[in-house]
Amino acid sequence: MKMQVLLIGGFDMAKALAASLIQKKYRVTAIHPNDACCEALSEIKDLLVIQGDGSKPYILDEAGAGRADVAIALTDNDADNLVICELCKKRFGVPRTVSLVKNAENTAFFRQMGVDAVVCATNTITGILEQLSFINDMTTLIPVGDGRLSVAEVTIPEGAPAADKKLWEINLPGEVIVGCILRKDQTIIPRGDTRILAGDTLVLLSSAHQETDAIHELTGR
Amino acid sequence: MHRSAGLKPTRAAFGGEHMRKDEKYTVIVGCGRLGASLANAISDAEGSVMMVDRDEHAFRKLDAAYGGLTLVGDATDVAVLRSAQIERADTVVSVTNDDNTNIMVAQIARNLYHIPNVVCRLYDPEREVVYREFGIDTICPTVLSTREIDRLLGHEKEATVR
Repeated sequence: MKMQVLLIGGFDMAKALAASLIQKKYRVTAIHPNDACCEALSEIKDLLVIQGDGSKPYILDEAGAGRADVAIALTDNDADNLVICELCKKRFGVPRTVSLVKNAENTAFFRQMGVDAVVCATNTITGILEQLSFINDMTTLIPVGDGRLSVAEVTIPEGAPAADKKLWEINLPGEVIVGCILRKDQTIIPRGDTRILAGDTLVLLSSAHQETDAIHELTGR
Repeated sequence: MHRSAGLKPTRAAFGGEHMRKDEKYTVIVGCGRLGASLANAISDAEGSVMMVDRDEHAFRKLDAAYGGLTLVGDATDVAVLRSAQIERADTVVSVTNDDNTNIMVAQIARNLYHIPNVVCRLYDPEREVVYREFGIDTICPTVLSTREIDRLLGHEKEATVR
């Protein structure tokens, strides 16, 4: 049985998510209030598009919310997203609801109201932008737990202070660990005596925003 | 994003002598016809009223003699509700023209601030049914009007039958 995913609102994100989920063999339905947006969405192969206000029970019903496994609310209005998730969860019994929020302060409240996962796009993206603006060696930085922890990816260039050193020889900040080393096709879970080579990509777990210091220590920048 | 200038409640100051401890405090969200007429009535009769609306022009609907407070801001922003001192309210009434806003405000009042009396107006009868099941006190103009029209027509019918 194919997993069913319902996407409500949020044109660009709905489009990207739909394409990606359909490729992963999910059955996807998108709900959008706008005519032109629906038309553009319907160009995606295998995407079922329903035009209407996804915070109305009969529209959700029409979109098959009763059979959905996941509902993702992507509108740019927090109140709309909350109502969409609550209706999906409580009225239609959707097992997993996910919502975007604009106002970061709503994150905890949405969770309290039973929304399974809440993402504050503004905070997440500004966090990444801020990091990337100052550290060009970092390709990805994912905040976890409201940004208290971050997962960063950093590549060790030729001649970097960390190149050809064992992990225990590097003076990393206390709140940072190297969780994984990506070397060509290999994935290495490092120990203290694992040697870092130039060209390795390290996956760092760091709290208290110490990734900048750690990267300086590793790459010299 | 709310305008910070809007976060200062206007007119009477909080905690002044005019506000006794036992006085009822009502927060009304949405200064439309219903909200404004409620605010006028309550501020005349009993206790103090705080009116919140994101459009300050909406406050023109209040009586010249309205003795309550006003606050400009989006009430789905918890910071705005905090400025409205929602935690002190006995009653929160959410009557904006947007159902989902009303639902969210009602749930914030109920679940975050445990306000004893929370009422919200929902235009969509279908949503009203659902949220009544969820335990929120809702009123739906369509349902009320239908009932009243039914009653009027019912009476008329009876009159003609006789």
